[in-house]
Amino acid sequence: MGESREAAYSRQELMVIEAARHVRDGDVVFVGTGLPLLATTLAQRLHAPNVVCVIESGVIAPLVRPTPVSVSDPKVMFRAVRLGTLREVLGCLLQRGLIDLGFIGGAQIDRFGNINSTQIGPPGAMRRRLPGSGGGNDMASHCRRLLIITRHERRRFPERCDYITSPGFLDGPGARRRAGLGAEFAVTVVTDLAVLDHDPATCALRIAKLMPGITVEAVRAETGFRPDTAPDAGVVGLPAAEELRVLRDEVDPARVYLKEEEPVPGSRR
Amino acid sequence: MSAADAVACFVHPGAVLGMGGQNVGRCPMVLTHEIIRQRLGGLTVVGCNLSIAMDQLVAAGLVARTICGSGNLERFGTTFCWRRAIEAGTLEVHDYSHLAMVTRFLAGEMGVPFMPTRSLLGSDLLCAGAASASLDAAAGPAGAVRRPIVIDDPWAPGEPVVLMPALLPDVSIVHVQRADPMGNLVIEGFATHEPEMIRASRHVIVSCEELIPTDEIRAHPEQTTIPFMHVSAVVPQPYGAYPTSTYRYYDFDAPHVAAYQEAARAGAEAATRYLETHVWGCAGFDDHLARAAGRERLQALTQAMRELV
Repeated sequence: MGESREAAYSRQELMVIEAARHVRDGDVVFVGTGLPLLATTLAQRLHAPNVVCVIESGVIAPLVRPTPVSVSDPKVMFRAVRLGTLREVLGCLLQRGLIDLGFIGGAQIDRFGNINSTQIGPPGAMRRRLPGSGGGNDMASHCRRLLIITRHERRRFPERCDYITSPGFLDGPGARRRAGLGAEFAVTVVTDLAVLDHDPATCALRIAKLMPGITVEAVRAETGFRPDTAPDAGVVGLPAAEELRVLRDEVDPARVYLKEEEPVPGSRR
Repeated sequence: MSAADAVACFVHPGAVLGMGGQNVGRCPMVLTHEIIRQRLGGLTVVGCNLSIAMDQLVAAGLVARTICGSGNLERFGTTFCWRRAIEAGTLEVHDYSHLAMVTRFLAGEMGVPFMPTRSLLGSDLLCAGAASASLDAAAGPAGAVRRPIVIDDPWAPGEPVVLMPALLPDVSIVHVQRADPMGNLVIEGFATHEPEMIRASRHVIVSCEELIPTDEIRAHPEQTTIPFMHVSAVVPQPYGAYPTSTYRYYDFDAPHVAAYQEAARAGAEAATRYLETHVWGCAGFDDHLARAAGRERLQALTQAMRELV
């Protein structure tokens, strides 16, 4: 009985679990709170014990206690090796090129992986003000790999962002280099419907994997541009019992960020 | 010095106000409340992440402009009064990344007119600046409204870099763990953008959890974060960052942060009622602490922090 209950999972849980799978052992990860921190600490407790977390408020290599709600929450600082300054982490680690992976969020992600966290509506015609860049622009400018976790909704995936807060591939191939940004760059977007990555030739986001039971058409229906399908596109692996257990019992036991959602149909075997 | 005297002495209407703290950590609430009590308006509030302190200044109608990297309280939501004011067109906002803001303070503290960064390249954070260049012509306090400029790296033609103009706040407000009467500061734990901002500022008002003897500073000079030359006034105030946290002293008070957020979200009237109750209606910050939290709650927050450090 207990086992069959464990097999049931929510879309949000699989989204976090799949994002964790993209964190590699040994990665130095620049991460904020919320689902990205859940994914990073999940990876740390599973396949990537040598992951080093760097938190924007100046926290280096903490042993995060569940579940911090802010980058200034003492739970995110637990047993860090250094509590320093923004300049140390954003400048001396990130801009210096010592961060492998950055977790970033935003209200809009466009075809070329550009991110908007500043405003809905173009400059001069703003309809909704958002929090702004924070360290997002810095991560997108200086990380070699960006990882984004977001709900897959059409309004979140426009053809072109209303405002580019954080640079993805800008206008396409060669644009980052022309702007003066590092050329070594990759974007992966994990949603509740699919995993998108960038096509190395066109720099456009494409469907790399589908979430179980989701069709290409369903993804395209919720995407404001028409993403291609990667030649080797597959299906995201179902959550292992251990992945679900660690996520639920160790990473976010109070379910601060994990919502009580209906299990994915068919997942309750 | 009392908060009232320090604020009256160093904060003037129209000032460029440097804001310490980040999100729900070490926000200078006692000094912010005092600015609200004295209704010092027309402020340009600058910092990296601006959160509850800035939002309360906006709620009080005292902010003309923010220059920052973000406005929000993470899990507790956005800074609602700030958002409303921007959307209504009553608050001017200059957007940067957090590193770009640190770079501006870094130029300021080093006494140079600008400092380069490779952030902002290719983004609208840069273009938006260029498009509103006319703002630069406006008489802005302390050059704060100057915008970044892209040039080629002089040693590597074709490689763009962004020059960030120095930002020198007229006065910064910061809450720290310990300070002595001379103005030597010990910041424990994460220090955000404060060291650079403090050293870039013309005046700095510091509130502290504990006022310690200068002998104690001199016994452990390697622990001094900021020497007295950068500091104008020291205001002892236990729990001076409440409802945000002070590392090693007390955790943030989530229900009270949420209560402010609920008022801020509800609208200008509710936010004003909050300020009536917690600022204008209080004799001082200790009175606010007694009403908003009480001794037992404050001790519980101290205990919560002890379990984490």
